[in-house]
Amino acid sequence: MARGLRRRFGTKEALAGVDLELGPGGVIGLLGPNGSGKSTLLRILTGLTRADAGEVEIDGVKLEGDGLGVRQRLSYAPGEIALYGELSGAAMLEFLLRGRTAGALSRGRELCARLGLPLERRVRGWSHGMKRQLLFAAAMAPAVRVRILDEPTEGLDPRKRGEVLAILGEDARLGTTILLSSHHLGETERVCERIVFLHQGRKISDESRSSVLERARRVLRVQFASVPEAVLLESLSGVQRVRIEGTRASLELGSADPRVTLAALGQASALPAPIAIEHGSLSLTDLFREFYGVEAC
Amino acid sequence: MLGELRSRLWLAIAYFVTLELLLIGALAYWPQFAENLDKLRSLIPLPVLQEMADEIEASGFPAYLAGQHFFKGANSIGGLVAVLFAMFAVALEVQRGTLEIWLARPVSRTRLFFERWLSGAFWLVLPVFLSTLSVPLIAGYIDERVDIWPLVLSASHQSLFLLSIYAPTFLLSCWWANPLGIGFAMLLLALFQMSLYLIENVTHYSYFRLADVRVFVEIYDTESLPVGDTLVLLALVIVPTLLAWKRFAKLTP
Repeated sequence: MARGLRRRFGTKEALAGVDLELGPGGVIGLLGPNGSGKSTLLRILTGLTRADAGEVEIDGVKLEGDGLGVRQRLSYAPGEIALYGELSGAAMLEFLLRGRTAGALSRGRELCARLGLPLERRVRGWSHGMKRQLLFAAAMAPAVRVRILDEPTEGLDPRKRGEVLAILGEDARLGTTILLSSHHLGETERVCERIVFLHQGRKISDESRSSVLERARRVLRVQFASVPEAVLLESLSGVQRVRIEGTRASLELGSADPRVTLAALGQASALPAPIAIEHGSLSLTDLFREFYGVEAC
Repeated sequence: MLGELRSRLWLAIAYFVTLELLLIGALAYWPQFAENLDKLRSLIPLPVLQEMADEIEASGFPAYLAGQHFFKGANSIGGLVAVLFAMFAVALEVQRGTLEIWLARPVSRTRLFFERWLSGAFWLVLPVFLSTLSVPLIAGYIDERVDIWPLVLSASHQSLFLLSIYAPTFLLSCWWANPLGIGFAMLLLALFQMSLYLIENVTHYSYFRLADVRVFVEIYDTESLPVGDTLVLLALVIVPTLLAWKRFAKLTP
């Protein structure tokens, strides 16, 4: 649990009072454009960056005063890949799992075997994706209540990404809370039960996936033959808000049922002819752009 | 701790071998040096170095040993190793981005700090002791005899001197994420101190005065450590170490 987290780097406010409730169990997706404060938030939660204000508490243990206690209760896979190239994969895994219970290392080795990592080889010769998977395996190995994963699938091929997500899902079903920062919005939609969206250091949305998808169904996107007039679109029945980009318009509806608006659209002879209509198929990227006017990544 | 020790093992071995080779070479040359001391002294240009030759003439083999093994060998090679071990200690983790994986593990900051500090200090000091303790064996080949106890005291003083270079460099490594910058700064400082040492009127302001031939001859003669110098060196080890620890603990909660 995090309350009122603030962090400033020089004149830039990286986090401007973020609250976040973690758990109990499940995967929480953390989204936001570059520079929105995602990595700063993750680093503060793991005790790698000091917050200027606010507090973090994991499983009843406060980070400030008992950083070690918090680190014992969570695991972390950093987004930046920097490993000791001179070590073998096995030695690197051992290094990453130092301070964990004995079972963590054998679990880590199992995960590495499942991911096909050549632990006997020096990390220096590994690909970016292999290093990423090693960090992921090391974060998934210990028996902890909370896992914090910063872009664990970035740079992986689709097959490996699927494997990583499968491991993640299996772990979440056992009751672990996983905070997942990802740029792959499709996979976030797939595995996350809750989605938190950060923008300019502020949490602007924290809702369940079903609620996000429900909101997605309230958006109707229409491609017109020419640029439509906003006033005409706003006057359509059921429309609450309109955004126009060139010949494309996004209509935010009052309900998830678009039929009334579609009927009104069919009768609005003053509008240009609609060429294509999309409903209920918004990705998270689209959704956050429609609702908040910001890119999700 | 074993991992920390392993990571510096090869450099420590190279350091020991270098010290040992320098020592063997220097001691093998002692009989000719002693025979030709007068002629050699006439070739020495600086009064400070002539003073060193006077010490050797007055005290004989122990002073020569101090000059060659401690003042020349351990001060230069050991000083370099002290800076190398310490400048990379924390700064390199920051520079290459491995600080996160080093600190994210559930191991206390105090433990991480002192494991790194102590492993560096251990490999810095051990070769000094080992090479010094090999002196009686080598001296036997040139018909010289040296007692073990003064050698142990001399090695202790030399170690303390090297640690007084190691500890402030370690402190810099906790402050500044540029290991090469730290190394360069320490090199400039060492050159400045050596320049001071070689100038007659200001030689007493040089840091190297705390570990020169005069000090080791005194240790050899009195069979005790010089209290004042030892206290100064201890302070120069303890204070920067505590400051570095504070700084390191402050890096993260």
